[in-house]
This record gives sequence, C-alpha cells and structure tokens, in this order.
Amino acid sequence: MSGLKEKIEKLQERFDEAIEGITDEKALQEVRNLYLSRSRGSVSSLFGELKSLKPEEKPDAGKEINALKEYVQDKLQALQIQLSGPRAVEEMVDLTLPGEASYIGSPHPILIIQQEIENIFLSMGFSVEEGPEIETDYYNFEALNFPPHHPARDDWDTLYINDDFLLRTHTSPVQIRVMEKRKPPIRIITPGKVFRKESPDPTHLPMFYQVEGLVVDRGITFAHLKGTLESFLKILFHEKTKVRFRPSFFPFTEPSAEVDIGCTVCNREDSACRVCGGGGWIELLGSGMVDPQVLKNVNIDPEEYSGFAFGLGIDRAAMFLYQIPDLRYFYENDLRFIRQFLQK
Amino acid sequence: MKISIDWLKDFIDVELSTSRLIDTLNSIGMLIDSWEEQKGDIILELETYSNRPDTLGHIGVARELAVALDLPLKEQEWPLTEVDENSSENIDIEIFDDDLCPRYCGIVVKDVNVGPSPEWLARKIEAMGLSHINNVVDVSNYVLFATAQPIHMFDISKLSGKKIIVRKAKKGEAFRSLEGEDINLSPDMLVIADEQKPVALAGVIGGENSAVTETTRDILIESAHFNPVSVRKTGKKTGIQTDASYRFERGSDISFPPKAALMAASLLTQFGGKATKGIVDIYPKSRKNKTVMLRQRRVSEILGVDIRSDFIVETLSKLEFILEKKQQGVWQVQVPFFRIDIEREADLVEEIARFYGYENIPSVFPPLTAMEPPPDPKKRQIQKCRQALFHYGFDEVVNYSFADPENEEKLQSGRKAIAIRNPISTKASLLKTTLLEGLLENIAWNQNRGADGIHIFEVGKIYFWEDDACSEQMSLGMATAGYLGMNSWQEPPIQTNFFHLKGVCEAILSLLRYESVVFLAGKHPSLEKESALSILLKGKKIGCIGAVRRDICSSFSIREPVWAAELDLNGIFQKQPRPFEYIPVIKYPKVVRDISFIADRKISYQEIKQTLEELSIPNLERFELYDRFTGVSIPKEKVSLSFRFLYHHPQRTLLAEEVDGFQEKIIKTLSSKFGFQLREGGEN
Ligand SMILES: [Zn+2]
Repeated sequence: MSGLKEKIEKLQERFDEAIEGITDEKALQEVRNLYLSRSRGSVSSLFGELKSLKPEEKPDAGKEINALKEYVQDKLQALQIQLSGPRAVEEMVDLTLPGEASYIGSPHPILIIQQEIENIFLSMGFSVEEGPEIETDYYNFEALNFPPHHPARDDWDTLYINDDFLLRTHTSPVQIRVMEKRKPPIRIITPGKVFRKESPDPTHLPMFYQVEGLVVDRGITFAHLKGTLESFLKILFHEKTKVRFRPSFFPFTEPSAEVDIGCTVCNREDSACRVCGGGGWIELLGSGMVDPQVLKNVNIDPEEYSGFAFGLGIDRAAMFLYQIPDLRYFYENDLRFIRQFLQK
Repeated sequence: MKISIDWLKDFIDVELSTSRLIDTLNSIGMLIDSWEEQKGDIILELETYSNRPDTLGHIGVARELAVALDLPLKEQEWPLTEVDENSSENIDIEIFDDDLCPRYCGIVVKDVNVGPSPEWLARKIEAMGLSHINNVVDVSNYVLFATAQPIHMFDISKLSGKKIIVRKAKKGEAFRSLEGEDINLSPDMLVIADEQKPVALAGVIGGENSAVTETTRDILIESAHFNPVSVRKTGKKTGIQTDASYRFERGSDISFPPKAALMAASLLTQFGGKATKGIVDIYPKSRKNKTVMLRQRRVSEILGVDIRSDFIVETLSKLEFILEKKQQGVWQVQVPFFRIDIEREADLVEEIARFYGYENIPSVFPPLTAMEPPPDPKKRQIQKCRQALFHYGFDEVVNYSFADPENEEKLQSGRKAIAIRNPISTKASLLKTTLLEGLLENIAWNQNRGADGIHIFEVGKIYFWEDDACSEQMSLGMATAGYLGMNSWQEPPIQTNFFHLKGVCEAILSLLRYESVVFLAGKHPSLEKESALSILLKGKKIGCIGAVRRDICSSFSIREPVWAAELDLNGIFQKQPRPFEYIPVIKYPKVVRDISFIADRKISYQEIKQTLEELSIPNLERFELYDRFTGVSIPKEKVSLSFRFLYHHPQRTLLAEEVDGFQEKIIKTLSSKFGFQLREGGEN
C-alpha cells in the first residue's frame, strides 16, 4: 500500500512538471494522452495495480488514485480553458479564423419537391401509394378507358418491352391497382418515375417524375377538385398564385380540366415573357372527375361513388419554381447544380 | 390545327379582339397555343383533342364559339351548275365491306378548268400553312379545313369502267400513292378500286394512277365515312399520316358526306365545271342518332353546384343536341352525329360545365370521411438511409433508368437485362440492371468539371428478367472518389477509401437495425478481385462493396480510384429487422478492459468478430477494435490487434473477478482457435 502511495505522489510531481510551460493545445493533448489515455495512460494504469493489493486496502487505494485522476483532470481542464480562452485572441490564435466546415450531402432537387408535395397532401389527409414501373397495357391504358387503336394513345408516346409489357407513361396504373384493392373512401397520391418515347430536349424527357392524385368517395364533386388543387398550388407556389381551370380532354376523366397557374415570372404582364411565352399562364396539371367507365372497370359503382383525379409533372413544377431553363439539368447530376438545393 | 379568324368569319360574325377571342376559346376548352398575324389575318394555333374531331375544321370551331358568345351560325349556300346527266349514269359505287366503309358518296363534275386558285381560295390554303397546287386540290383542302370532312378527287378518265368498288386489298396488289411512294398492300387494308386496280388507299391517300393533273377535265368527288380503327391501322402499317387519315381515325360525321360532296362540287363549278345530277350515296345501314339520358340532379351532384334546368336545355340545344323531357329534371338527349365523343351522361355534364364556365364552379375542400392507411414503413426506412448518407457527405443523384448495352456488358451485373422494343436510341435500349453505370457516369461528368471529391448515391429501381417475368428491385447505389470533407486550415485533406464507404454501409444497416449483416470476401465482375466483399443478411446476399475495376473506370474516363457499393433494398426489407426496444440506461459503472494480441494476418476481422459474438459473454455490452498495427516490433506475417471490451451489469456493479473470468475466456478462445498471443503488457 505504501508503495502505491509513493507512486501516486511521484506521478503527481511529474505531472506538475510536465504541465509547466505548456503553451499550445497540441502539447496539452500529449500530456493528456500520457496520463489519462484509457489504454496506456500512467494514471489509468494505476487502477490495474489495485489487483495486487489486499482486499481491505483496495477501497482507500482506489480513492487515492481517483483523487489523483481528478487532480490531473482539473489541471488539464483549467489549462485548456486558458489556452483557448480570450487570452489567445491577443497572443496566440486568431479566433475569427473559419470554423470547421463539414460537407453535408444534398438531396436531389426533384426528390425535395416530391417530398414537399407529399407533405402538402399528407396534411390534407392523403396517403402515398407506389407501384410498378413496368406495366401491362391493361393498367396503363385499357383500364383507364383508352380503347385499343385509339389516337388518344398517341399523346402518351410509349416505350414497349414487348406486346405484354410497357414502361408506364403515367402513375395512373397505381390508382387502378389501389381501387382494385380497396373500397372507397380513397384519398391517395401516387408519385414516381414515368417514361415516354421522347428524345431529351429542354422541355421533354424520356423519363421524369410525376405525382398523380385520386379521391373517390360518396358525393365528390368538381368543386372539391377545384378546392383541393387550388389549396395545393397556393401552398406549393405562393398564396397569391392565380389558378385557372379550363376544359380539356383525358380519356380517364370526364369532365376534364387543365390547371394553369398565373406566370410567377412576369405576373401575366410581359407579352415577351420567356417563361409563359407571353400568355401569362403556365400549364401545370391535368385533372378531372374520374370517368364512370374507369370506376366500373374496378367494380366501383359510379352511381354511388364519384371521384376526381389529377396529375402533375414534378420536373415541370420544379422548372417553374426555380426558373430552370432546361429539364435535362435534373438528370445530368452536376453537383454544382444539385448542391444548390441543399439550402432549399 | 391552324384556325384563320377571317375564315371563322365566313360562319360567325365575331367582332372580338384577338385576346378576348383566345380567352373565350380557352374557357370552353379550345386551347390556343400561339397565334400570329399573316397578311392581315390572324392565325391561331389550336390544340385539338383526339376525342373532338368535329373541331378539326373551321365550322366546328365556329359552332362552339357561337354558343359561347350567343351568336347565330351563318348558313352557306352551295349552288350548282349542272349537266343534264344523272350521277348514277357516270358512276356505279359498290361497298363490299360496310363495316370498314359505312357510307360512300360520289358526284361527278365535268369540264373543270384545272389551274391556279382564285385569290380568296389561295389565301385560305396559305393560311393553313399549305402551298397551293391547283384549284382542284385546293378545293379538297378547303372542304377539309372548313368542315373536317376529308374528300378525295379522282380523274375519272383514268378509271377503268364506271365501277367504284370499296373493298379490302388483295395480297400482293400493287399501289403507288400520289406522292409516288410504292405501298405494300395487305388484305386488312381497305382500298377504293375501279374494275381493275386500287385507285386509293381508303381514307389515307389517293393513288398516282387516278390523280388529278393539269390536263384533267372530268372529276369524281369522293366524300365518305371510313371506320376509324381501320384507317388508323392502315396508317400505322404504311407509315402514312395525312390530314385526311388524321380526321378519319378520330371519327368523322357520318351525316356529312353528301353535304361535303355538294360543297366541293359547287366550288368546282366556279372553275367551269358542271356537276352531274344527284349525289350517289351508298349508305347501306343507315344509323340513328345516339341518345343519352340526362338527370339534372346528376349534373349538380358531379359539378358541386346547382345548375338550373333552363341553362341545361338552352346550352345543349345550342350545341345541336335535341332534348326530350321525360320527367321533371330528366331528359332523353339526342346526340348530333358530329359529336362522336358524347356517349354517356358524364359527357353531357362536361358540355354543361364547359359553357357554365369552370370559373363559376365554387372551390370547396372535400370532407374527410375516413382515415387513410398509415405510411408504408419501407418509405421511412429509405428516408433514414438518405438522411444518414447526407450526414456522411453523400450527394443524391437521379439517373435515367435506361442503360447502354455496352456499359451493361462491361459491368456484368449477372442479371438478365430487359430490352426496350422501341428505344429512343441504342445507347438507351436496355433497362439498368445495376445503378453503378449511372454513378460512374456522374463521377466522370463531375470530375471533368473540376470536382475533386465526389461522393454520391442513388435510390432507384433496377430491372431484370426473372424467369419470364419483369422484375423491379429497389436498390441503393453508392460511390465515392477523391477527397473527403471540406478543406480545413487545421487538418490536411484526406482521400476517401474503402473503409470510409464500408463505414457508411455499416451505419445505414445499423440504423435500420440489421446489425447482423456479414461482410465476406466475394467476387464481383465490376470490382477489383482483391478489393471486393459480399454483404450477406441471414445467409442471403444483399449487396456488394469494393473498388471498381480500373479498366472499367478508365472506360468511363475516370482517372482516380472509385469505391462503390450496391445494396438490394427489397432483399433487405424482406428480412425482419431486429425489433426496436428501449433499454433502460444502466446506473452502475461500466468496466472497461483492453487486450492486445499478436495475431496471424490471415485471420479476418469478420472471423474474430463472429467468434467473439458466439461466445455470448454475459454483460459484455460491446467490443471494439481500437488499434491495429504492424511494424518492426512485430513479425512480418503478424499484426497487433487491440480490442476494448465494455462490460455492464444492469442491476449491480460488476466485480473485478467476474470480468477477469470473462476476459480469460476471451483470451483462451482466441488463443486456441486462432493462435493469438497476448502482447507483453497487453492486458489491462
Ligand atoms: Zn410570364
């Protein structure tokens, strides 16, 4: 026991010597390692010596070692504060030097917008549904009231795998799949990748992201479609965004409506506006009341239930949100482009 | 299609400014994409819908506008100069297939002076963006763009005999179009033939052998109705689309052929022609107008606003529907032939809504009547992966799902790629079987633009054949190259490496509570042999990690080492993760013991880890490898490994003796199993 006590005193003396004249944090760290390192520190290894003591000596000896450990810790802490404290500004280190920067990865802009859109609809009581990207003609076209050999199919230029399978041209097949599985009320959005036979150019892509939505319940009306989409667009864009509904045609909705938003760049005042082409409006969404035939195809009685559906290109929405002139930028994956959205 | 405002004025007295006119058309669903002034006229570019072929002519557009503006539609007169001969003396029309051709009208106009068109006609043809050829061709185009009814003109002197036969083509029959193109006819195609040969591909294009030329005098006007699907199939098969086939395949007005024939004949008589008497009109199965029941209640139910019955009656009547009241608020509605799109009540509701004005329908938020199912937990798992990757400094990319066959060949994912039958290009003719292709392209792209640290990931599907089924698999691809982190004045920059990426994979799998994954030496065709591991979860391979083969990197023009990993998220999510449970924080002190061994280099960490785990030492909370070194003090084939063991008892302070026992067991096991030697002073 007395031998240990001596060791402790000696170690404390050596420590006091060691910290004298320390002027920088590196030297301080060395001393800390020497005495306190969990594996090799001199103080830490004293605990190992407890084993060789008689059981009745152990508690006192333990206390002494702990006292030394605390002494060393206190001294080192005081020194550290001294070294990195305001004194340093005058004498040692410029505290206005840049702090440690860390590299935080950025989400892809399309997925940021998708997430935003999902959040808006989640707050409106929608759920998010997904489905396969390789689809059958039935789910992509026929169930959606596209007759075979109908020119309406030309508007959805399709990439085919073979006679049976194709790459979905919209996420509407997911709506059909959900309606087959579940009875109304249904209130879903279906985000995901869709494919078209289009060569990439500034306004067309062979693959892009879409969000579609579907509400089916008793008593769903066109007024509900308007209410939902107006709220959505005002949250996504701006509460003062102008929204216009105009009649259109889609095989799977009747009546159908195209939804435009007032050009946010020229505020509908510049006849030479690059973004809206001077028309003042930007075509953003397709929508309409679910065609009764589509409901029949999934065994929902159109006399009892009605619904509305809509679809929006996420890339296109992002394009207008951030004035991105070329849709292809989204798939070049230039980090100088993507990383800007870290701050979004 | 192009709409000339001057031409519209032939049918309706519209006096609106261009912008008001465009707004009015938009409000009823006729979108004007753009417009331009042309020789004092305004030409609108109208977006047309495949279900509204009636708006593919000026009369159709005028008809809609007349309802919107409450203006009358002007009637036009089509007077004829006639010869004292009946049409039927000149032609004998026979339809062999009245499914494909339900109606065919013909009239002959003799002594036409073929020549340049008069100014008024030339102007209209130019307005449609066509160059005028001669007055006869221009008349056909005039009728088409005025009425949406295509007509065709034959030089009657070039026909053999009086017979006009509407029949299917015979196998191997020759036909050259008036554009000079030889077309392979097949028996599913409908042709117009004389007694010897086909003279027109029905509804698509006329034949060279019967075309009107400068020397033509006598003309047969064809004005018919063809089956839309048949015209479309023929058009697709021959690759020919004409203004005529475009209209026929969308469906033309079956009541209109005689009027269009009359109109064309009347115009030809302006050029000296004399029409034969009467139109030969073959219409074997005369059709009745469709009827649709309409309920006022339903209109209001769908639109969400009360629509008065007089508004319904007035609007539909102006649109030339005939309403017969069946009871209060219920009508039987007769649909005009030109509205091929109207078949159900819902279609009529849209007509009412269009003219009621979408802007006059209120905006109401739909009531929530039931809860939707909670979010798919997988979605949250993926979000957790993404968040961890952002934290580790990985940027997210999204690549096309299309793959270049050359790259697929190089990367050899081992999965059978799915080919696209009609790809946008050969370089995009497969679907990706690995996310690596995109990631390597992204690294090359960014490296070429000066990036010196590229750490990226993609969550997306890969696609492949599994037996005869198309399989889609959600995958997480990661790649890292160059410097890590940001430049710092405190620390020198460090390069990424294998263990950085492995750490990321381990962190992700641990966040998802799949700590039980095993990393084993494995081969992968796109990874360097000595630097590849397979990742296994409960015995199933769920991914791989390693250095991308140098020759592959250089084929993507990447100049520095790339480490990549790919995880099969479907495969992972199929296995249950360790259930999450809360463990109370232990109040009793932790006992920490370190041991250093001299170990044989051949023994892998994975083996040691597994052995230690299998010991199932009670109260061993965890262990970690905190030091590993080789050097002069260590024999060449050996390595020094330092482990730290952390012990904890939930209910009491552990006794040193207990822990001694555990440590002894560990040392004994590692010594006997792997021949590890305790390093001098290596235990405390
Ligand atoms: Zn604008």
